[in-house]
Amino acid sequence: MNKILPFFLLFTFLSNFDTEDNLLIARQGQISFFSYTSVENIEAKNNQVLSILDLDKKEIAISMLMRAFVFKKDLMYEHFNESYIESDMYPKANFEGEIIDFDTTTKENQTRIAKGKLTIHGITKEIEIKTTIENINNNYVISGEFDVTVKDFQIKIPPILSSNIAKIISIKFNFQYQPYEE
Amino acid sequence: MKRKNIILLIIVVVLILINVNHYVLPAFKNSDKNLENEVAELTLNANELVDTYLLNEESATDKYSGKIIEVTGFVKEITHLNNRITVILNSKNENFGVICDINTNQNEKIEQLKKHQKIRVKGICKGFLKDVIILNCSIDLTPNE
Repeated sequence: MNKILPFFLLFTFLSNFDTEDNLLIARQGQISFFSYTSVENIEAKNNQVLSILDLDKKEIAISMLMRAFVFKKDLMYEHFNESYIESDMYPKANFEGEIIDFDTTTKENQTRIAKGKLTIHGITKEIEIKTTIENINNNYVISGEFDVTVKDFQIKIPPILSSNIAKIISIKFNFQYQPYEE
Repeated sequence: MKRKNIILLIIVVVLILINVNHYVLPAFKNSDKNLENEVAELTLNANELVDTYLLNEESATDKYSGKIIEVTGFVKEITHLNNRITVILNSKNENFGVICDINTNQNEKIEQLKKHQKIRVKGICKGFLKDVIILNCSIDLTPNE
């Protein structure tokens, strides 16, 4: 009995470590962007954004397919993917960063800054994004809004269309996380 | 000579009209088109699809992305997040699956759908993140295999 006990303890410890993996995942995050000009408003939505949230390191990673953005008109989709984002060369956009002062013990809503690297169109920029973190029934929901400048990511818009597309695009995001099942 | 010119003009006008009809007008249409009656370019099962992407994402992207594909698999989950109907299909690799964004005209079939049911889904393959993503899907509840 005495010999078995340490083994038993060891096993329970090990299994504890396994379950204490504090990774959360959102497979169906939502990102939408808006371009408002006097000529036309353009809006696109992506409902299949992947995000992984590490509660221990307070790190967040986001990845999305540019071709999964849905537009109102096919022409917008075509221009976006073929001419501006060049989705064949840069199929994905990514964000990797950490959430500063993220308090994982509280259940209350918190507003924090996510600081990290945003990659669109093959260009990486340091960025700080204000995010709202909610904890609903032990599930985290992270949402927020920020602006990007088209020029920053070397996206070329022909002069003839420059009045149709805003210089600054506003982006909204919403991620509902679930435990990451291994 | 004059007559020739007129004929030429008619031909040019007809050509322009055909072009407008085929290339310009579709661009102004809604992208939420119904794929139910379109023919799929490739037919395969969820395991094969995920495996191909895991093996070599680049070549799989060339092979599948942007194409209409028909995928057979088992339903893992049905979600209604963000007012979208999404069916997730299982694959052998538990961590990876196929996310199918279902067209709104499929509502009736969604109601009959159950977990672990075998179905066939047809849609446009967009690529791979952690799951393969297929948009604009229509469902076939009884795959004949």
